[in-house]
Amino acid sequence: MHSRRRFLKTGSMVSLTSSVPATLARLASAAPKQKDERILVVIELGGGNDGINTVVPFGNDGYARSRINLRLAEKELHKLNNGVALHPNMRPAKELIDDGRLAIIQGVGYPQADRSHFRSMNIWHSGNPEIKEEVTYGWLGRALDQRKQNDRDRANSSGVFVGEQQTPPAMLGRESVVTALSRAEDLELLSQRVVDLQAAGAIASQSSLNQFVVQQFSDAYASAERVQSTAKRRSTNVDYPATKLASNLKLVSQLLHSGTESRVFYTIQDGYDTHFAQLLTHSRLLGEFSGAVKAFLDDLKRSELAQRVVVLAFSEFGRRVKENGTQGTDHGTSGPVFLAGEAVTAGLHGQTPDLCDLSDGDLKIHIDFRRIYATLLDEWLGLDATPLLLQSFEHLPLFA
Amino acid sequence: MPQPPTSQARDRYWQPFEASASDPWTIERVVHLHRRVGFAATWSEIQRDLKAGCDASIARLLAGEMRPRTHGFDELASAIGDVAAGSASTGRLKAWWLYRMLLSPDPLRERLSLMWHSHFATSNLKVKNLALMRGQNELLRQFALSPYSNLLKAVIKHPAILLWLDADANRKGNPNENLARELMELFTVGIGNYTESDVKEAARALTGLSVVDGKYGFDVAHHDGGPKTVLSDATVSDVDSLLDLLLDQKATAHRLASVLCETLMGESAYEAGAVRQLAEGLMARDLDIGWATETVLKSRAFFAEKNLHCKVLNPIQFMIGALHALELDSPPPSTLVLARWARRMGQDLFYPPNVGGWKEDRAWLGSRTLVARANFATELARGQLSRDPHPPNCNQLLQRYEIDSHDPYESTRWLATLLWGHAPVATVESVVEHARASDRLSPLNAILAELLTRPEHILA
Repeated sequence: MHSRRRFLKTGSMVSLTSSVPATLARLASAAPKQKDERILVVIELGGGNDGINTVVPFGNDGYARSRINLRLAEKELHKLNNGVALHPNMRPAKELIDDGRLAIIQGVGYPQADRSHFRSMNIWHSGNPEIKEEVTYGWLGRALDQRKQNDRDRANSSGVFVGEQQTPPAMLGRESVVTALSRAEDLELLSQRVVDLQAAGAIASQSSLNQFVVQQFSDAYASAERVQSTAKRRSTNVDYPATKLASNLKLVSQLLHSGTESRVFYTIQDGYDTHFAQLLTHSRLLGEFSGAVKAFLDDLKRSELAQRVVVLAFSEFGRRVKENGTQGTDHGTSGPVFLAGEAVTAGLHGQTPDLCDLSDGDLKIHIDFRRIYATLLDEWLGLDATPLLLQSFEHLPLFA
Repeated sequence: MPQPPTSQARDRYWQPFEASASDPWTIERVVHLHRRVGFAATWSEIQRDLKAGCDASIARLLAGEMRPRTHGFDELASAIGDVAAGSASTGRLKAWWLYRMLLSPDPLRERLSLMWHSHFATSNLKVKNLALMRGQNELLRQFALSPYSNLLKAVIKHPAILLWLDADANRKGNPNENLARELMELFTVGIGNYTESDVKEAARALTGLSVVDGKYGFDVAHHDGGPKTVLSDATVSDVDSLLDLLLDQKATAHRLASVLCETLMGESAYEAGAVRQLAEGLMARDLDIGWATETVLKSRAFFAEKNLHCKVLNPIQFMIGALHALELDSPPPSTLVLARWARRMGQDLFYPPNVGGWKEDRAWLGSRTLVARANFATELARGQLSRDPHPPNCNQLLQRYEIDSHDPYESTRWLATLLWGHAPVATVESVVEHARASDRLSPLNAILAELLTRPEHILA
């Protein structure tokens, strides 16, 4: 009786024998799909990042004049050139620039900046500065829709949102689907599960639906096993900081390594709304941000994924040039956008904001954020940006 | 006026099932009925319906008396709903609905409300108002089995969908076509049955619809009063005449028949002709959803061999069905916890993925969502679904029905029959064998965890 039953762990299906139905034998040998498709990981810096104390124009006369309590000491900054430097707590970001993996686009915003978190975020999410209502379809959701339309066979044109928050409107599509993940355990089996091929074979022979279900179970358990074994193998030599953003990006890395078909990922780092006692909070946030991105890229560097992944980080607006009365800053206009990965043209892009040449006390906007979207959509994701953004935008030289 | 379908055609596709000696009313068919449309059944409910026969069982289901009405259910459910709608917690609103699905005497109505939630897929992501989401949900429930015009009109004239589909932004001379397009593509005639010009004209007819103080309103100042020509030659003026015109279309009846067949029938279990036939019946009966549901459920096609075990259960049916069949619903598990599991399995209530609603059937079975289903089964068997965790007492359940809980084969066969309506030999043997290897669970709970992660448990 025992001899006719074979219980196989999905990870060791090579031991399949001819007694197993052919369809199941085929699926057992199916390797995770490795493609050369490109991947975009978006980090939302929620609350309005103070770009001036992030990419610091220390050489500008206006800096010392407008930032009294919040001025960062020049000697502690990570200088990028004679006038611009990164915040002291952004050493990992400086290292990324030095080895050619981080681009910073300065002075990014949109015409007639809106200082409402909510509306400005809707503008960035929709890619439409005219938006009056809630976001119906986000720029990434529309991108996934287009990707699906380009390839009707693609069953899985989905984005992945990693976080506890509600799914960001940027990812809302008309046809595409976003899946939300909040914990590493969601990728792993709580208890060892196997597909018993003998028993499953009896069902699978009945219909194509049964075969499909058995196959999906096999794939699911195999992918969970890959996640678990990758996590085990990698935990020794990949060092992610103990922060929420880092653990979210680690989850993205695990998904990528386990062979997911998703190509757009999104996560949020909240807390940038620093109206009060900004120095410490902002320093911690920037440290977490740059540390997490560096760890993520270093993690990918050890596989072919490094060439295929680009990280975009944006905030809904920058903050006022002049600090407020409670050692913080209020809502402003433009700010820096980050683009990281081996494929980017590293270094500073765009004109450094001039703190002496303001518009109503706020930084002038030099680059429309949709130029970055257009560049990413066309050059990185291989889509057609014009219908997605409803007009064409001049690209930026972000990719070599 | 369309002609009622001839009896000949009806005989062809939706002939009623009649039990006979050679084709009897079986446990498998009873379980099939309840898993497919009513979140499964307990052993006593199965036995009750087995005795009562097919017609009486379906009549009971349609009458909303499938499960015993627990004292004070309506009052309690409504109080929980009020608290949830008044709170800022979306989890509580999800928990409220799951509580209803778990304990309502009328599971068919809850199942169909879930179908309509996907049909009129409205997300709180944009509506951002739990009271409105709950209000819409009550409409879906109230009109779940009514003539479709009642349901459609109620849903369209409710703030949730107006906010969701930008009705307020659709104004005379400054149209927003979102509501008009989805009304035609998703809620009535369906794609291919209207032109872009129809969408534009329909959008004009819908101008003026707005939300005033959280209620449906009409702002005549924004309404485009001119005549609009929709669907070639029909003239409509406003929302009512537009909806009436769309409800009158053959294509609308066809789309409804498709939605019902997709929900009630399994994969490859019906032909295109059956949908056409159901659509004709709907046309002749004022698009009566109750009639169509009854016709499908009572049919030979519904109980035919090729319609058994061929429908992928959605995550909520998967969860609620197991909990109800195993009598783990009194006291109920934490429905807040269940809501989180539903999200992990890909069915986040009140947050459908897009205007098209959830993709059903095979689309449910992604790697990650199957891992979540397997993990849910593990947590159920470990008793981790309650605020006060304790493993389910399977012994007690088996003893209640005089099953020898010490015999793993008999226990497994009985549990499989309870959960699936049948107990394939190879599966029973495999379950018993695998359960022996579990060291963390009692023997019966290990069997349970195995059963709940078998392919058979995904299909109804």
